[in-house]
Amino acid sequence: MDSVIKACIVYFVLWAIIRISGRRTLGEMSAFDFILFLIIGGSTQRAITGEDYSLINALILVSTFVVIEVILSLLDLRSPVMRRVFEGTPTVLVENGHPMTYRLHRARVTQDNILEAARRLHGLARMDQIKFAILESTGKISIIPESTPSARDAGKR
Amino acid sequence: MAPRFHSARAITMDEVASRQYPVQEHMVFQRRTWIVQRVGWVILAIICLAALTGLFGDGILSNRTVEGAGFTVEYERFERATRLARFVFHFAPSQNSERRLHLGRNFPDKFVIASIQPQPTRSVASAGGLELTFAGAPSVAGQVAVWARPHGYGSIAIEAHADDNPPSTFRVFIYP
Repeated sequence: MDSVIKACIVYFVLWAIIRISGRRTLGEMSAFDFILFLIIGGSTQRAITGEDYSLINALILVSTFVVIEVILSLLDLRSPVMRRVFEGTPTVLVENGHPMTYRLHRARVTQDNILEAARRLHGLARMDQIKFAILESTGKISIIPESTPSARDAGKR
Repeated sequence: MAPRFHSARAITMDEVASRQYPVQEHMVFQRRTWIVQRVGWVILAIICLAALTGLFGDGILSNRTVEGAGFTVEYERFERATRLARFVFHFAPSQNSERRLHLGRNFPDKFVIASIQPQPTRSVASAGGLELTFAGAPSVAGQVAVWARPHGYGSIAIEAHADDNPPSTFRVFIYP
């Protein structure tokens, strides 16, 4: 009984902390972020298992996590509101080459981050070559390039 | 470069409005999320500060000394389940060569005793709790450390008395 309750608490506390930390943490994960996540996993793991290293405890915990996942995915399917709460929503950060400073600031994304994504994904060098930059709910930045011929040429060069 | 500081003036109504293209936005929800995030950061910071002060054990707020009749006990007001807790009992000098420490039933019920230093010469468990007898010299103050792991949650009142003195109660809060 204890294991199921502990697993549920840990699941939702971790979910809340990851959501609070913001989307950038999830998508643009650096090597250090990766280590950080390993440490978070290690420190919570002991709290869940406690001193019970039995096979049955592992089975209970894994089952609980999978059941929570399935229930949440079913809720996601049924309700758009739940989907927004659990996964977040995409946000446009650059529109027609104009960075939206309020949104960038709130989402803690810099214009340099946008330009980096533009270079990486489309070989774009300037803000005005970007039609839309979108911060996806996964935390990744998507770039839609400006489709004028000059911008396309600049992209190829 | 992105501006470090963002003035309220720059928040245009246009940026707050939801776009339908290229993605369906929910700016009202998104702005709420940003507010909740910031509230969350403050809560996490408060948790860190509370931990530094000892609200979750091991710190200034947690260290406690309770004076009973014939003994004082030094311990942590806040303990955590399964973490080794230490209780140090100081006996006042007495005429007897044997010192007895009685711990109420809550103690053996909620704690698994890992070690008692020095080892008691006699240890008797009864319905009333645990009676530990230590060898000691008369007229000398003694000290006994009890190491134990809590295995329950919540606030626990522990009754203790030394020799034939009246009992005193001290409280421990155990976090899950």
